[in-house]
Amino acid sequence: MSTNLELPMFTNNSEAELGGRWGMVIDKDLCTGCQACVAACSMENNVPFVGEEDAGYGRSMQWIRIERLWEGLDGDYREVKMTDYQPLMCQQCHNAPCEPVCPVYASVHSMSEDLNLQVYNRCVGTRYCANNCPYQARVFNWRDYADYRETNTADNDPRWSVFQNQLNPDVTVRRRGVMEKCTFCIQRIHQAENQAKAEGREVRDGEFTTACAQACPANAIVFGRIDDPESMVSLAAETSRGSRLHEELRTMPRVTYLAGGA
Amino acid sequence: MIKKFFAWLKQPLGLIAVGIVFLALFSAAVYGIYTTQQSPEQPIQFPHKTHVAFGIQCLYCHPGANKGPAAGLPSQTKCWGCHNQIVKTRDSALLAPLKDAVLSGQSIQWVPVAMVPDFVQFNHRAHIAAGKNCEDCHGDLSQMTIYENPQVLNMGWCINCHKQSAGDDQALLTKLTDCGTCHY
Repeated sequence: MSTNLELPMFTNNSEAELGGRWGMVIDKDLCTGCQACVAACSMENNVPFVGEEDAGYGRSMQWIRIERLWEGLDGDYREVKMTDYQPLMCQQCHNAPCEPVCPVYASVHSMSEDLNLQVYNRCVGTRYCANNCPYQARVFNWRDYADYRETNTADNDPRWSVFQNQLNPDVTVRRRGVMEKCTFCIQRIHQAENQAKAEGREVRDGEFTTACAQACPANAIVFGRIDDPESMVSLAAETSRGSRLHEELRTMPRVTYLAGGA
Repeated sequence: MIKKFFAWLKQPLGLIAVGIVFLALFSAAVYGIYTTQQSPEQPIQFPHKTHVAFGIQCLYCHPGANKGPAAGLPSQTKCWGCHNQIVKTRDSALLAPLKDAVLSGQSIQWVPVAMVPDFVQFNHRAHIAAGKNCEDCHGDLSQMTIYENPQVLNMGWCINCHKQSAGDDQALLTKLTDCGTCHY
């Protein structure tokens, strides 16, 4: 699936390291668009509800979203049909366009995990990274959405304060003016690595998974080590059905989409 | 009007006023910084050194330290396990809050002192697994009454130790100085 576009490419001088570490495979033929991954991700990662008004301004916050695409929009409306659902999150690019544009190094590459990080306490909210992301995977905190204390809610309804109790303590609650995005559930990665280290072994394939993959009822999402050729995610990614989004940009995403299978 | 005011400031009296305002602001800033470095008021004047002198292990009261992220603060039932057998508990004024807590069933509101901000994900277990001891970060508690941090818990202090622990191991150094190790 190579394209021949004349586009400026990111230099990469680490061809040997292109294997990556953590990766994901999403089977679009299996996805039913049920949004279970979206709900699970929001609960796991303290992604807040922004409310009706701000959603109207396009400030909805989701780390993973289900994209709907249509075919045949040029012709008769009877010929218009929907393609597969496409769950889309941060693609954890190896050559991430979001990273070089951050003036404060809040969007940095994790060299040990080969993930794109967003360091919330560094972020000053310039939003350059979101504007440079070809996947539109980044969302911005326009208000203190995740602060569910009574005094903060728009309607001063004390019932909102119960949401304070469902926040995941392993994930930072982001404040206003901070960019955020999918982390491949890095808190789960660390937990599994800590557990493995305490038991003196390597992390086993399938020992843990991301919240979206865990919630998917169709098992359309597979997560794991892509540097291990025997792992489930590596085997799934190697089929001929696989493609990556915006491959022509040489961003080297870590998410492979499967489609068009028998 | 504003010119008159500046002219007045240049008078000896005005200079004194400027000095007083400056001193007030400066001392307020110093006091503000000083208060952030003070250990908070605890419900019980807990003497760590007495308990350490009895030979009680850190993990007896803070059992989470080698199992998970938080070491944990003991509940009054754990205190009472020993203290209900100690005669001194009956009429010691210092232990009255403990007795009240147990009799009324209210929990003791300990104030955590060794705290990191919300955007830092600290895990005790990883540090214990790496061979660190409690006193490496928390100081010598056999000399301490109420716990206070032996140093300011800031990122420079964390990173210093991370770099030293890594030594010449480049892979470990990358891991220990990676932003994503603590911030996510």
